[in-house]
Amino acid sequence: MALEPFKQSSPLTMGVELELQLVSLSDHDLTGASPDLLHLLQRKPFPGNVTPEITESMIEINTDVHTKHNELLAQLHLTRDTLVAAGDTLNVGICGGGTHPFQKWRDRKIFSKPRFKEVSALYGYLAKQFTIFGQHVHIGCGNGDDALFLLHALSRYVPHFIALSASSPYVQGGDTLFNSARLNSVFAFPMSGRAPFVLTWDEFEHSYFSKMEHTGVIKSMKDFYWDIRPKPEYGTIELRVCDTPLTVERAAALACYLQALCAYLLDRKEEPPAEDDYLVYNYNRFQACRFGLDGTIVHPKTYESLSLREDILTTLRRMDLYAEKLGGSAALNHLVQVTHTGSDAQFLRDQYNGSGSVEGVVDAALQRFRGS
Amino acid sequence: MQPDIFIISEELAWPLAVLLAWLAGEFAHRWTGVPRISVYGLVGFLAAQAFPDLFTTDGASSVTMLANVAFGLILFEFGYRVNLHWLRVNPWIALSGLFESAVTFGVVYAIAHWQGMQPLTALLLASLAMSTSPAGVLRVINEERSSGQVTERVLHIVAMNCVLAVFVFKVVVGFWVFQTSGSFTQAVSHSLIELCASAVLGALFGMLVPAVLRNLGTLARDGTVAFALVVVLLVAITHAADLSPVLATLTFGLMARHRRVSFTRTQRNFGAIGEVLTVLLFVFAVSTLDWDRVLAGAMLGLVLIVARFVVKVAAVAVFSHVGGITWRKGALIGVAMSPMSVFVVLVLEQTKSMGIVLVDELAALAAMTLFMEVIGPIITQRALVWARETAKEED
Repeated sequence: MALEPFKQSSPLTMGVELELQLVSLSDHDLTGASPDLLHLLQRKPFPGNVTPEITESMIEINTDVHTKHNELLAQLHLTRDTLVAAGDTLNVGICGGGTHPFQKWRDRKIFSKPRFKEVSALYGYLAKQFTIFGQHVHIGCGNGDDALFLLHALSRYVPHFIALSASSPYVQGGDTLFNSARLNSVFAFPMSGRAPFVLTWDEFEHSYFSKMEHTGVIKSMKDFYWDIRPKPEYGTIELRVCDTPLTVERAAALACYLQALCAYLLDRKEEPPAEDDYLVYNYNRFQACRFGLDGTIVHPKTYESLSLREDILTTLRRMDLYAEKLGGSAALNHLVQVTHTGSDAQFLRDQYNGSGSVEGVVDAALQRFRGS
Repeated sequence: MQPDIFIISEELAWPLAVLLAWLAGEFAHRWTGVPRISVYGLVGFLAAQAFPDLFTTDGASSVTMLANVAFGLILFEFGYRVNLHWLRVNPWIALSGLFESAVTFGVVYAIAHWQGMQPLTALLLASLAMSTSPAGVLRVINEERSSGQVTERVLHIVAMNCVLAVFVFKVVVGFWVFQTSGSFTQAVSHSLIELCASAVLGALFGMLVPAVLRNLGTLARDGTVAFALVVVLLVAITHAADLSPVLATLTFGLMARHRRVSFTRTQRNFGAIGEVLTVLLFVFAVSTLDWDRVLAGAMLGLVLIVARFVVKVAAVAVFSHVGGITWRKGALIGVAMSPMSVFVVLVLEQTKSMGIVLVDELAALAAMTLFMEVIGPIITQRALVWARETAKEED
């Protein structure tokens, strides 16, 4: 299957996908509730879209294409309220968070759909420990070259999104000391990491994708688990490093931050991206996963050491004008607050210290998702 | 002449029967996938028929006591999985529970009465037929590691029909006491006071234990041992004071859940000791039955089983669409509610001391109990498999 042409879409439009946890209210463990939940949701029109995920204890929602923060947020609120109401009808808890704090991967059931079964057969335990929950943000691009330019220009800002969304400190019942442990599960896959440094769609198609396809290692874009990947059939780039936040407000804010950043980068005032930017990429990404906002990153051009929190605040300020034009100022203010009050990972650790149990952590996440 | 070594003494009979049942259960489960508890029941019944003298029990024996503790642990876990908030948010579940219990009661009473049974006996039989065995259902659910709407709703509806069954049963007993003794106070103390006291006792412990655990802090993050010990205590108290252990342990679990200190998955069934007691419970439950009576009551028993089954399936399925699930899953909930034995046997054992020996009088009940102890769990298991809620690795 050849790579499909890059479909043109309106620049700077955005769409959000959220993978959500389905939790038993009796013991707070993940529970295979997606078939029942999807059945109930089918009865009424759903705001946006809802689909099953690889295990039955996960569902994915996605929004329509939006241009403004308030519209995106309104739809996410509506989606959340619909989900919470359905969950209440079925005695199923729904929440965000990049990992479930104590689920055992051996207990997971694979949703019966041929592609999921294939993935499970190929990756073995990796498929089940892939019971992790991420937020994906799509940004529309005018053409494939812009998409690849943005993809590489954004690489320097990837740690921002990891630290601001981090909500997976607990895995298999223990504190990992990471703020986003979820990404460690992603990195285990052979096709994960960064995209190759190619700046034109033509070159991407002919000198990278077709070669990779020829090796037999991949069949389609779906087989790449990159941090940012182009999505030609939508005409977007997709940022995939975010943990699903505990609230839809934060999910909307992250999307609008990305939108503003893309608007800024498309002005091309920054030094253009280069292959050497990736020398510090993995190190910076590790810092963001491990220490969150308290991490220290290295600037890819100047090699200067920067506090991640400071770098985020500086960038947010620089985005002010762009966000104002796009109607996303409230979103940036929300993120400024996050740098002061701490990320979702911090919130979850506080809950653990307060309640003394990982079940208490899940309970707090359930309440937070409802917005109560 | 037989050497002494082949003569199995009474002290050895129970441990050997339990061991044999466990072994048979493991083999049968591995080879055919039938629920282990079905096999425990079958072995218990066969052992008791082969050596009737060795397996006699009265209400005060230690085996009865252990069986009650085993049942108490299961009921605690059962109560712990019931979410009262859900019953408020989705009233259709409670409604279907009430409806199926009421219709089952009516239909079983009508059939029994039409068969010429005494009204009072028919009422007692009908009240017991309302209930589903919580032990059978919970054991199968845990064995299959099932999750989904059939699983959740079966747990909630069964909790309801058990409480209703105990309630109606006690009221009928109170009525019976009033008729035979003529003393109104004695009748009330045998029914309402007993019920209230049991529930209050359970609720009280359900508030106390989590509070104590919370004060112990991280030391007591795992409440399993504390809960198990309190269940043992509750069973002993209810036994001594002639209260209902069923109601007390169920309310204990219910209250402990709503004042929660979390209970993690590894402690399902209360671990290995819980397993041991379960084998004993299921062996015990059928050892009280007698083959001649089972045969005598087989016809009526079968008619009642079929009627009960049809009524439960239809009555629950009616509410499935409006309650948010498919018709198919609604019907499967009713199917899964087939088991009924253990609950019946223990309720009856308790009333024996009052001179009501219903199993002995009621051949039909003996047949129903035996049949549903062995076949019931298999039906529940099938229902969960058909609902695709079991955790079997798919190929």
